[in-house]
Amino acid sequence: MNKDIKNLVADIKSRFELVGEDYPKDDQAALDFNSRDIHSVLAYVKSQGFRQLSILSCVDWIKDNQFQLVYIVFNWETGIRLQVRTRIDRSNPKFTTVTSIYPGAKYYERDVHEFFGVEFEGNPDSYKQLFLENWDDMPPLRKDFDSKAYSDRKYPVREYAADFSKAGDKK
Amino acid sequence: MDNTVEKQENIRKGWDGISRFFRANSIWMLMYCTGCCAIELPQAMTSRYDMERLGMGPMATPRQADVLLITGYLSLKTLRRIIYAYEQMSTPKYLVAFGPCTLNGGIYYDSHAVINRLDQYLPIDVYIAGCMPKPEAVMNGFNDLIGMIKRKEANGWKKYEQNKDWYRKNQIQALGELRIKDEFHE
Repeated sequence: MNKDIKNLVADIKSRFELVGEDYPKDDQAALDFNSRDIHSVLAYVKSQGFRQLSILSCVDWIKDNQFQLVYIVFNWETGIRLQVRTRIDRSNPKFTTVTSIYPGAKYYERDVHEFFGVEFEGNPDSYKQLFLENWDDMPPLRKDFDSKAYSDRKYPVREYAADFSKAGDKK
Repeated sequence: MDNTVEKQENIRKGWDGISRFFRANSIWMLMYCTGCCAIELPQAMTSRYDMERLGMGPMATPRQADVLLITGYLSLKTLRRIIYAYEQMSTPKYLVAFGPCTLNGGIYYDSHAVINRLDQYLPIDVYIAGCMPKPEAVMNGFNDLIGMIKRKEANGWKKYEQNKDWYRKNQIQALGELRIKDEFHE
């Protein structure tokens, strides 16, 4: 953990309630917050030089019945990658948009809405389709989505008259 | 009377043979690279294997191209655009499929976004084996296609015209709707 990160985390700890922390690499920090703090945290770190929202990711913790939203922001001056994480309820996944802080989040929120079904209030674009066209099932990156069953139902499988692998095993 | 019919038939056959000779030796391929197999095409095209010696060259638009190369896996989104491109091509048109993904889905057999069997949606003249096929295999496949055109065996486009309802039914089953509706086409 380098000096810049130490200072940054100490600074953030003095201002916000930190739920958890993790340091995957020398120049990376992953900090967990309550979901009500996320907007103020993001606004604060943006003012501290984290100008770029690299990606908004989502993790499906199906046993805890929670989605984890991961905002990865990047500082071009110090080269630090900061993950701002929070957990939201999985059964009624709703969150408020951060497009007022990072306008580029518009597309990431569309992405997360399409693949995980999280609704972002205040971003009307997040309901539009981005990658999937005419999708007719549950969001496909949720853990309880059965990709094989969907593929078998939608796309016919080729049937082979002879099973060559079995014939090869006999000798 | 019979004599003239026979004569005309001979002339038609003669012209047919000549046109097939020229078609087989001047194939323009549509550069629409869908998957990872496309990475083998630059080697097949450039000086080492030199596709040009078979009379093959790249063409930018579907309406002027003869052969459509499906280089690897096809996602639903791409399939919709490929159908657009294939139906725009003027006959006779040929379709060459690369790799196992076009045959049975390959490593994407259980993916929600990738189709399993391409021959359900479009008629295929030549399959090229390998994941990915080496440039030798690609050149061999093109040689096969040229031989098939000379022998009148590359009839995928006729099959597509005759069984269009069956192909259309499969396309709609997978895609829901053929029309492209994204924010660039609104």
